[in-house]
Amino acid sequence: MSSFYITEDVQADGLAVLAVSGEIDFEVSPRLRASIDRHVKAGHGRLMLDLSEASFIDSTAIGVIAGCATSLRRSGEGLMVIVCPVENRKIMRIFEIAGLERAVDVHPSREDALADLAAAA
Amino acid sequence: MTAQAELSLASELRLRATAYDLAGARDYAAAAAAAFGLSPDDGYDFVYAVNEAVTNAIRHGSPDEHGQIVLSVGAVGERLVFSVRDYGTFAMPASASASDLEGGRGFALMEQLVDDVQVQADGDGTTVTLSKARM
Repeated sequence: MSSFYITEDVQADGLAVLAVSGEIDFEVSPRLRASIDRHVKAGHGRLMLDLSEASFIDSTAIGVIAGCATSLRRSGEGLMVIVCPVENRKIMRIFEIAGLERAVDVHPSREDALADLAAAA
Repeated sequence: MTAQAELSLASELRLRATAYDLAGARDYAAAAAAAFGLSPDDGYDFVYAVNEAVTNAIRHGSPDEHGQIVLSVGAVGERLVFSVRDYGTFAMPASASASDLEGGRGFALMEQLVDDVQVQADGDGTTVTLSKARM
């Protein structure tokens, strides 16, 4: 069984912050998708996915993130950004190989991500 | 001494073909990588590729009559070799350049992270073999 936790926080301005820690694999990818979908349906289309504490992310989870980010952007329902510091080399290297940054912006800190979300609002 | 060490590393694991058991596959690969002496970074890459191969077998292949797939690991000279066998036939997913947003990255990642990836399909099933050299 994977070690995997999501903590969810909706801020006063409607921004949903999802902090995911541990291992994100095919077993738990549906939980990540359900969490994102729930916030979008509730009208929280601006999402920050903080992967600072993630230790593993497989191709199915990368697919969920790329798919959700792209459909949000195309539908105009919102915007999703990723937070992952460069120090989390394991995750950042996988993102680079998978080409995730073609589908979603990856920021090194929450402050940086907030600036991006504010500019897009 | 080396031959003995290599012999003791060879093992087989019958794993239930469920997503719930993927962490067990990663633990199995991590233990083999450490025993073989892959560096931590290379070990991570090896485990990552194993996870992708086993995920594919669970998603697209078929288990045996006991609901299991077969994982094996062993040393061949300076290379750590892993294979996963299922009992169905699955088409090799398209590469990362596929337009499908959600799929198609697994094999591309495997090919980047280990030295060799082979897919062998016969009448009874599919075996994916990957290997990584010890530097």
